[in-house]
Amino acid sequence: MKKLLTLLRKRPSFQAWLLLLPSAFWLFVFFIAPLFIVLIYSFLERGTYGGVQWHFTLENYRRTFDPLYFKTFGRSFYIAIVTTIATLLIGYPLAYYIASRPAKRRGTLVLALMIPFWTNFLVRTYAWLTLLRTHTGLINVTLMSLGWIQKPLPLFGNDFAIIVGLVYGWLPDMVLPIYAALDRLDHSLLEAASDLYASGPNVFRRIVWPLSLPGVVAGSMLVFIPSLGAFVTPAILGGGKTLMIGNIISNQFLAAHDWPFGSALSFVMMAVMLAATLIYFRATSDEERRQL
Amino acid sequence: MSEQALSRALSRRSRMAHLKKQLGEGLFHLYGLTGYLFLYLPIIILVIFSFNDSRSTAQWAGFTTHWYADMMNDHQIILSLWNSLFVAIVSTLVSLVIGTLAALAMERYRFWGKLMMDAVLYLPIIIPDIAMAIMLLIFFDVSGIGFQPWKANFFGVHLAVPYSVIIGHVAFNISFVAVVVRARLAQMDQVLEEAAQDLYADPWRTFWRVTFPMLLPGIMGGALLAFTLSMDDFVITFFTSGAGFNTLPVRVFSMIKKGVTPKINAVSSLMLLFSLVLVAISLIIGKGGDENSSANTMF
Amino acid sequence: MSETYAVELRNVVKQFGEVVAVNNVSLRIGEGEFFSMLGPSGCGKTTTLRMIAGLEMPTSGSVMIYGEEQGYLPPYQRPVNTVFQNYALFPHMTVAQNVAFGLEMKKVPKDEIRRRVAEALELVQLTGKEKRRPKQLSGGQKQRVALARALVNRPKVLLLDEPLGALDLKLRKAMQSELKALQERVGITFVYVTHDQEEALVMSDRIAVMNEGNVLQVGTPEEIYETPTSRFVADFIGKTNFLNGEVVEIGDGLAKVVLENGAVVEASVPEGKTFVRGERATVSIRPERVYITPANELPDVRNAKAFSHLPAKLVKFFYVGSERRYVVLVGDTEVVVQAQNVDRSTRRCHTGDEVVLHWDSAQARLLKE
Repeated sequence: MKKLLTLLRKRPSFQAWLLLLPSAFWLFVFFIAPLFIVLIYSFLERGTYGGVQWHFTLENYRRTFDPLYFKTFGRSFYIAIVTTIATLLIGYPLAYYIASRPAKRRGTLVLALMIPFWTNFLVRTYAWLTLLRTHTGLINVTLMSLGWIQKPLPLFGNDFAIIVGLVYGWLPDMVLPIYAALDRLDHSLLEAASDLYASGPNVFRRIVWPLSLPGVVAGSMLVFIPSLGAFVTPAILGGGKTLMIGNIISNQFLAAHDWPFGSALSFVMMAVMLAATLIYFRATSDEERRQL
Repeated sequence: MSEQALSRALSRRSRMAHLKKQLGEGLFHLYGLTGYLFLYLPIIILVIFSFNDSRSTAQWAGFTTHWYADMMNDHQIILSLWNSLFVAIVSTLVSLVIGTLAALAMERYRFWGKLMMDAVLYLPIIIPDIAMAIMLLIFFDVSGIGFQPWKANFFGVHLAVPYSVIIGHVAFNISFVAVVVRARLAQMDQVLEEAAQDLYADPWRTFWRVTFPMLLPGIMGGALLAFTLSMDDFVITFFTSGAGFNTLPVRVFSMIKKGVTPKINAVSSLMLLFSLVLVAISLIIGKGGDENSSANTMF
Repeated sequence: MSETYAVELRNVVKQFGEVVAVNNVSLRIGEGEFFSMLGPSGCGKTTTLRMIAGLEMPTSGSVMIYGEEQGYLPPYQRPVNTVFQNYALFPHMTVAQNVAFGLEMKKVPKDEIRRRVAEALELVQLTGKEKRRPKQLSGGQKQRVALARALVNRPKVLLLDEPLGALDLKLRKAMQSELKALQERVGITFVYVTHDQEEALVMSDRIAVMNEGNVLQVGTPEEIYETPTSRFVADFIGKTNFLNGEVVEIGDGLAKVVLENGAVVEASVPEGKTFVRGERATVSIRPERVYITPANELPDVRNAKAFSHLPAKLVKFFYVGSERRYVVLVGDTEVVVQAQNVDRSTRRCHTGDEVVLHWDSAQARLLKE
């Protein structure tokens, strides 16, 4: 026992691994191993009644490029990009607004942001369902009863509805990191910039924006990745017509019983996310270099 | 230009600048207000229509608590609420211990394999839940672990909760707990632990007398986050539960699929209330963050 | 059997990866000594202290406390206590709880803890502040709590890591003498780490000057200041002038050096250092040991002793109240001369004048370049 303790003192990395043992076990068995199983599955053939047949094939990956699925990928990508841009456009000024309030009000405003953030995503999506539905949604019903419109607006079951749901769902995820970055910003930097003849827009462009960029990058990633992999929002607001890649994947498991193809689809989805993340990080760090 | 005219022109210019600034400030306020309205209005409308005396969620027809009574009498909903609480409590407790240990290792040591562990810990946070859900589904199927239920007596209610659901929840909660606790640890000066060791406290007592009391707000924060994520999760539960098991979000999803009724609004309002309570708790913890009482009562 | 030291380091090396933080350090610190380790940041002094405390383990070599090899003994099993740089008071405990912590860990009976905590707080004049939290204390008070928290355990050796670093100048000066008085009263060996040369000179019995992981010189404050054995020590402790040249003659303790501008001066050779004719070397002379006279005046009677004379040109003059400071050029080298302002006699040297510098050759030191 004493020898063991001495060994642990001599080699701190043993102590570290002792502490990591439970988490490493749990994550390797219940996360990393499943990841590899899915990878293997994506190269197998589907069995007759669900399940798989142990034949190596690239067919599943070829199929993801079939026009039908490829189009869904394209639409998911488009929806995720528009969602990210929209949350950034709405969220940045909101974060700036919070950050520019007096310290006392700021706490309250951030808290007011946390409440929707902590509210169940399903509940928030459902709220929009009751607002957007074509014939029985609050917006169309109200507008028609006011006589402002004759026909219901196409608010539901399309890309628009999904984007609204996603923007609403992920807006706090964009605002919070940007706010954190802006909050860290030293106010004297802005004063120094205006002292050095920078006008308002220039102070923003040359000082505030580059320094808030880490928050923008973090927020964009926090919005883009779950938007691309969205499942609940299109399932509820897509009205069963407009599907995203997440729904196609789940269909392979719930309805079509084609697990290998579902596995391949999810790997392609993750690859797209990885690529987008890398490109985005590179682009923004270039931007930062230019600013300096 | 005379001196007077010049000063008049200057003061006009400064007045204009002042006016412009006020206008900008006013518009900015309006924007902030609109932003928060956008965030809150849908939720408020949702709650309002949970009291609507009609099946419609778009036209007001008078006040009733009928939908809440309806909800309370729906034993499916009540059972799913118990299921949700059970899964959330168990997975929070398990992930809290595992995640805190991981945070200690990651923040306090330099060791071989740290970079890899970092990646492994972050992956469950960034991976979309649909991908994680199907990964776990396939894993439980091929590994033969399956979707066996844990038959538990939870405050007198008999539950049958699949182990697979709890395992899945712990798998994503570990990472979130680790992140929150790490953040707190990073703020905490390591020299305090060294000081304790210098004052004859062995590692065990150093942890309980110094590290743990100071870490407590972080651990509580991690617990709250894990509990919330667990209560909120739909996708992973949906795919890892096998047939016939419902948590509250899973139940709500299938209700939505059948059609919109104010009863769903009522259930949603209940879930909203839960979130508010959790936010309130997190606020109280945050307030006590620096002034937490120690276990030491000697003096 | 050899004498027992309070702390003895033998060939201690500490590497962090590729970086050598402490390079083969050997030190002997006597019982009851106020021993300082002085050097610029990153010189390895704090790492050395932490190895004595057990907060770092040496890569090789041995640390002994009262003759006992410490090996891999953890900090909580060593008979030493530390006063940390930023005090490291536990923010979630009161002053009294902080001070009692070590005694509780050693399972001292509660009555005794109470008594000793009261004594320790009295020693550092903090009686009445028992219930305060660290946050409610001033910097100086925190400092005293940290001291009490360490001293209450009656350690065999007290380790102090720049304990006054966070205090403002005035408080620091006051604490310096207080700390010194305290050490004399309790009689515990103090090992004190600082980068402040004045602090080290004022407080210490002996000083070890460190740079880049090496101990360059160990000695009393006077030895360190008066007889530095290396350029670094001469430069780091106090102010000095360096004149580069070539050794032309080595005599009885003194050596003649021809400077770059052709002038010949003399300097004393440190004990244990050998120079050969033709070797390049540096003459170090303190500003307050140089006299300055106008060039047209005859050198005074001090000429009788072994004096060096050096023609120079006065380029700047500063009136500093207690002293007069001259900056002169010897060739391209700036030399600073400080003259105590002992009477109000009129100044005889003016900017632009040709002047002569004089010094007692024994006061100049010949150092390796």
